[in-house]
Amino acid sequence: MDREFVPKILYALCAWCGTGGSETAGALWLKYPENVRPFRVVCTGALDPAYVLRAFIEGADGIVVSGCHPGDCHYNLGNFRARRRLAVMKEVLDTLGLDGERLWLRWVAHGEGKKLVDTAWEFDTHIREKGPNPLKQRWDS
Amino acid sequence: MLAVKGKGKGNQALQILLKGLLEKGVVQAVLIPSEIPGGESYAHILTRDPSMVDKAQPVPPVVPVQGGRVVSKLTKRGPVKMPTAVVLRPCELRAARELIKLNQVKPKGLLTISFDCPGAYPLSQYINGDKSLIKANFEEGLSKFALSGTRPLCQICNRFTGDTADIEVGFLGAPEDGHYLIAHTPQGVEALRALGYQEEVDLKEREETIQEMVKERTEARQNYFQEEFGPQVSGPQGLLTTLHSCINCHNCMRVCPICFCRECFFDSDALKVTAENYLMRAERKGALRFLPDTLLFHLGRMNHMSTSCVSCGTCEDACPNDVPVSRLFAMVADKTQAIFDYVPGRDLKEPIPLIDYREEELHEWERPYKESTNHHPSSS
Repeated sequence: MDREFVPKILYALCAWCGTGGSETAGALWLKYPENVRPFRVVCTGALDPAYVLRAFIEGADGIVVSGCHPGDCHYNLGNFRARRRLAVMKEVLDTLGLDGERLWLRWVAHGEGKKLVDTAWEFDTHIREKGPNPLKQRWDS
Repeated sequence: MLAVKGKGKGNQALQILLKGLLEKGVVQAVLIPSEIPGGESYAHILTRDPSMVDKAQPVPPVVPVQGGRVVSKLTKRGPVKMPTAVVLRPCELRAARELIKLNQVKPKGLLTISFDCPGAYPLSQYINGDKSLIKANFEEGLSKFALSGTRPLCQICNRFTGDTADIEVGFLGAPEDGHYLIAHTPQGVEALRALGYQEEVDLKEREETIQEMVKERTEARQNYFQEEFGPQVSGPQGLLTTLHSCINCHNCMRVCPICFCRECFFDSDALKVTAENYLMRAERKGALRFLPDTLLFHLGRMNHMSTSCVSCGTCEDACPNDVPVSRLFAMVADKTQAIFDYVPGRDLKEPIPLIDYREEELHEWERPYKESTNHHPSSS
């Protein structure tokens, strides 16, 4: 593993459970790696593949998505749709040899602050082991 | 279902059927591929005149405009008022049926007719080639159902029969001088009855022939994508090399029957940014290729529409620079459709995967979590 490599990681959190999980983590004074940048989407179902792809092409080494557990979606079916979209995203990347494992989906409830922080650490280690995302260095994309 | 035997082969078989339908008043108009006067190319024509059917070419050697798009244009503002027969290749029919689900085709009043498709030639080859020779080759290949030099995707097409049409015209397994007419819907049965067809035939031989061919083609398809084409276009290097000749004209998207959106995200203001933004990206990567967002466009489209891709190859025909777009998309589409066991156009009751869900599914795509008892580096 390259000790010098600090990956750029995006953590997409839905506005309800994912963000709630980060609040719980904050209340418990849990820390996540500083190179993980959380960003809020209104619902995991609102995360268009174009945003994820753009992040991969423009500089992200990994993207992890967390939202309400299936059945808990604030909009009832947003996370069910997100799961289908994520499956398609990963399959497209894998089929073309672009490493779908740089994209993770893990549900985090409002109260699961520790799960959120664990995920951030686990994913950070996972991406450090993989090394930099080769796409981000390509100016010919 | 009703299966009968008809006289005539190839184009003639379809002409007889369509003229019969018009003359008996089963339909009052037909939408049918025809050679454009001058013989430069082919297009669907809408007509009520049986003599136009005589001049038509229901199975043309090329696919300049995808028939799914044609039917969408016809019925976008509402269903046809008079019954209309529509002749479509199997892939065009699948696209039309996807568009019914997407509310872009109104099926009421349409009598769909499809046939065993022998494939089509690359459009540029026809436009730039010796047309009379190509036409003669096509006619001959059509009657024997053995065409060489068709588009790469046609050669590995494993859904080449029109088995979702109201009336399917079958050449495979049919006797020397004739063809089969197979009605798959009540409208189709009614139409064949109106034409006076009574005597049912046994399709066993045809079904066996098709089964064999499907098996062969499916193997060839998987083999091509996994062993030959896949490795060439795989990985950042392979994929970007494949896309290097792309000039970002978006032709592939504009001719795609499934890409019906009035404004595509990839044409939208979301991707029109300031010069500073481009410069920032250029600095990060060392440089930035213009026009930008080529990879984003192709990967983005795959995510947006590959679950409905009918593998028709129209995108590749429309590419001015010979990017193997249709093969890229078909290879990905085979995979993304397999996740949901979905075949576009197979069943009108099957919802499009991205607007549907099950509560319990796809858990293998979720990252499993085991609570760690270890302390994180930061808390020690």
